Amino acid sequence: MLTALTLGWSAPNALRAQAQPGEGALRRALELENAAKYREAALVYRDAITQGAIVQGMLGLERTFGALGQEDSVLPPVETLLRTSPRDPVLRGVLLRTLRALGRDAAAQRAFDAWRALDPRDAAPYREYVRILLMDRRTGAADSVLRQAVEARGGARDFATEFADLYATMGRWDAAAAAWRDAIADDQYMDQTASYSLMGAPAASRDGVRQALTATPTMPLVTRSALIRTRALLELRWGSPRDAWRALSALPPNDTTAQTWIDFADEAEHANGALAARDALEAAYRVRHDPALVLRAAALSLRASDAAGALRLATEVTPALDSARAAAEALPLRVGALAEQGKAQEAEALIARYGAHVTDAQRRLFARALAWGWIRAGDIARARKAAAEGGGENEDVVSGWLALFDGDLDAARAGLRTAEVKSPEIVTALAFISRAKVARAAGIGAAFLALARGDSAQASRAFEQAAVSVPEAASFLLGLSARVAAARGDETRALALWRQLVEQYPTTPEAPEADLEWARALQRRGDRAAATARFEHLILTWPDSALVPQAREALDRLRLAPDAVARTDR
Amino acid sequence: MPTIHRLVALCAVLLASRAEAQHLLVPMDDAQANHLKAYGVTFNALTEGVRAEWLINYRGGAFLLPDVPFVRRRASLDGVTFEAINDAAVNTIRAEIANTNADAVPLEKAPRIAVYSPPNSPPWDDAVTLALRYAGIPYTRVWDDEVLDQDLSQYDWIHLFHEDFTGQLNKLFLSYRDAPWFIDQRERDLNTARRHGFANIPALKKAVAAKIRTFVDRGGFLFAMCGATETLELALASQNVDIAGAYSDGTPMDPDADNKMDWANGMAIVKAHLEMSAGVNAMSDIDGHQVNVPARRQPLGTFQLFAFSAKLDPVATMLVQDHKSVIPDFYGVTTSFMRNVLRPAVTILAYEDGAPWVKYIHGDLGKGAWTYLGGHDPEDPQHNIGAPPTDLALHPNSPGYRLILNNVLFPAAKKKPHKT
Repeated sequence: MLTALTLGWSAPNALRAQAQPGEGALRRALELENAAKYREAALVYRDAITQGAIVQGMLGLERTFGALGQEDSVLPPVETLLRTSPRDPVLRGVLLRTLRALGRDAAAQRAFDAWRALDPRDAAPYREYVRILLMDRRTGAADSVLRQAVEARGGARDFATEFADLYATMGRWDAAAAAWRDAIADDQYMDQTASYSLMGAPAASRDGVRQALTATPTMPLVTRSALIRTRALLELRWGSPRDAWRALSALPPNDTTAQTWIDFADEAEHANGALAARDALEAAYRVRHDPALVLRAAALSLRASDAAGALRLATEVTPALDSARAAAEALPLRVGALAEQGKAQEAEALIARYGAHVTDAQRRLFARALAWGWIRAGDIARARKAAAEGGGENEDVVSGWLALFDGDLDAARAGLRTAEVKSPEIVTALAFISRAKVARAAGIGAAFLALARGDSAQASRAFEQAAVSVPEAASFLLGLSARVAAARGDETRALALWRQLVEQYPTTPEAPEADLEWARALQRRGDRAAATARFEHLILTWPDSALVPQAREALDRLRLAPDAVARTDR
Repeated sequence: MPTIHRLVALCAVLLASRAEAQHLLVPMDDAQANHLKAYGVTFNALTEGVRAEWLINYRGGAFLLPDVPFVRRRASLDGVTFEAINDAAVNTIRAEIANTNADAVPLEKAPRIAVYSPPNSPPWDDAVTLALRYAGIPYTRVWDDEVLDQDLSQYDWIHLFHEDFTGQLNKLFLSYRDAPWFIDQRERDLNTARRHGFANIPALKKAVAAKIRTFVDRGGFLFAMCGATETLELALASQNVDIAGAYSDGTPMDPDADNKMDWANGMAIVKAHLEMSAGVNAMSDIDGHQVNVPARRQPLGTFQLFAFSAKLDPVATMLVQDHKSVIPDFYGVTTSFMRNVLRPAVTILAYEDGAPWVKYIHGDLGKGAWTYLGGHDPEDPQHNIGAPPTDLALHPNSPGYRLILNNVLFPAAKKKPHKT
């Protein structure tokens, strides 16, 4: 059951900050709280209050009793303290929050009124109460309180943050963004808070938010910078790292900005924005000239499949490094980038130039990279030689690819399954191998090799031809051929393949996907009637397909398109 | 084969075919995947000349349709759940209906629907047009010219939404006087007024209100939501009284307007009081929530649908068909209706427990009927001007939107049943 603590002391003037009041007790209480020993912590916080640590002790009691679910035990001590220190804003805040936690809305209203009555022009009561009301999404009540606040203070400027939160809670995103703009003008460090508040804006409202947060030339530089940071954080939270960087790159280049760019790179990297992070690090390097920044940028570039960018950056930074560091940090990136581009010979020459600086362990790693480079160049024999020189496992990703290019599906399966990161290419290869019942398929090898070499036209044709020799995976190969053709912009060829899949392989898993892509292609071509027919065909033919909701959504959009509405409005 | 054996074989074939499905039951309880489009499927069937039945109070207000290919196709395309049943199953259902508080209402003809809506889209949505378009129910858009010049009896059902029939443009002048869309709207309405020989917008809108009343009186069905409910009543009661602020007609309100209102000319209100201050964003005390007056604003709660006797009160029962009986409330320019201003003959269809206001009301006028639903958008409780439109694809089972669509189908009932 609940145990209410009573505090039988009087504490006149105890709220004035003292040098070290109750420090020892506070430390002990915090340790107990961090160890989740809340009952013990509450007792020690009580002692701390007795020793004069009023504010910290009371906040500690609020936390610990909250953790115990005994919020009502907070009321006696805080009410006792308020009798002697009625104007203390921390104690008043504790009281309001506790009453809210207990669901005593009427009492919370009375507590707010009492606090406000002490000094109607004091902004603190309004701010605290509005915050509590918005936590409960009581936007009407919060709006009323804020209007009282504006009337009492003679203006809304002091409550820009609260208005911003209110509008955001109400879904009035334009107004919220405008209010945050005003708040940021007063306090540039509100950028994080503002972006968090506005991140819930739906896609349809984001242009309005962007507009409201646009800095004007007449604004002070600190305000402009803060608005830019806010925009960038928002774009990142909305899943657009490129747009975020575009906004952030407008900041004037200086040391403070460089740190902002580095911090952004950290966030962008975690938000799947490797290229945006790379650009930010490169920009920071131009200010700080720290090679570590460029090396990190190059690694991100390689990870994001921009081999040319990685090569440029790694090559640019090499002269700034001593030979040992260049061999250890820049050389692997340059070799990896060259291999991705199929420039294996250049990579070999580069490795040779570093001679003794390259360790045996590095050489073995480079050998695997060179093997991949020779694959990309189309020279399988040299790829095998490089892979053999690299030693390593008989079954690894490189050997798996080599086996697949040879048409040896069993060996390919064994090697590709070892990949730690299952790239889309590996997933596709394994998906095909799982469908094929044969151990060898020469035509398939040629098709995957063409794809690895970037010859998508040849790859698409080869996959289509291979469908004949591997009938149990024919629909898969035709679907793959169509996807490759569509990716290179050959929609005519893709359309023919999708039609073939739908008409000749209606019972396969690829048929609904083909029908959906066929319909989308027709829609892109402006043939609304044909697209409608295809979407309907998908829904009616494969009603249990996971793609049916997408088809229904597309049908609704077709039906509700502006000129379709004209047909509806008779 | 002897003749008797041939006859037996023929009978067996006939019996076998009759045992197959002949009907489609579209449940409207929680088994339904898309309640809103189910109305569209039923409406579409009626449009194609097929008769349907509305099984009110049975499985959430299920629909019984013939098992014909185009109905199956439409239901499949729209993701509407249906069950193929035979005559025996239908008979079982009818027996259950006979023994419970349920009824089967024949639906014969698809109503001709008109939506009173301005030519240019204002920066707010119309929940009814959203529902109609989502469900695939066609409608005709009418505006002041059509109401004043055309014979409205060509329609069975007219919907009103956000329009301010007092001619004060919803008092948006207070906050949006410089907004381009507001200026356009005002100019458009002024031009219309002049074209029809009216001195100002309030005079125009009052004339439109009178025509709509006549439409109902002569047998039409009216469904109004949001601000149209309250302002229609005010306009009808003030045909000879100046209740509009100076910004809309150049003259201030008649200071004695409140005493000069002729409430007998309205449909739902017995007596109410006007908001006499032009600067206060409210029209009268009809609305219980007063959302745009911060000092008076009431919080949202939930409202409860009244349970009627399906056999004795089929009209009211049709209007409250839903798979939920308690629905979260939603704001509008007019959110609710105070009980104390309603005529005694008004049927209360939904109410908030313990509150002095009600949410959804219905009544008769002459040969026709009207229904009012407070609020703007059942799935956007805090709706504000400029907010993006509700995507009903995300709310296919909205109990609030079902109330709107109940009103669409209700005029299709075979005959207008009368309360006994």
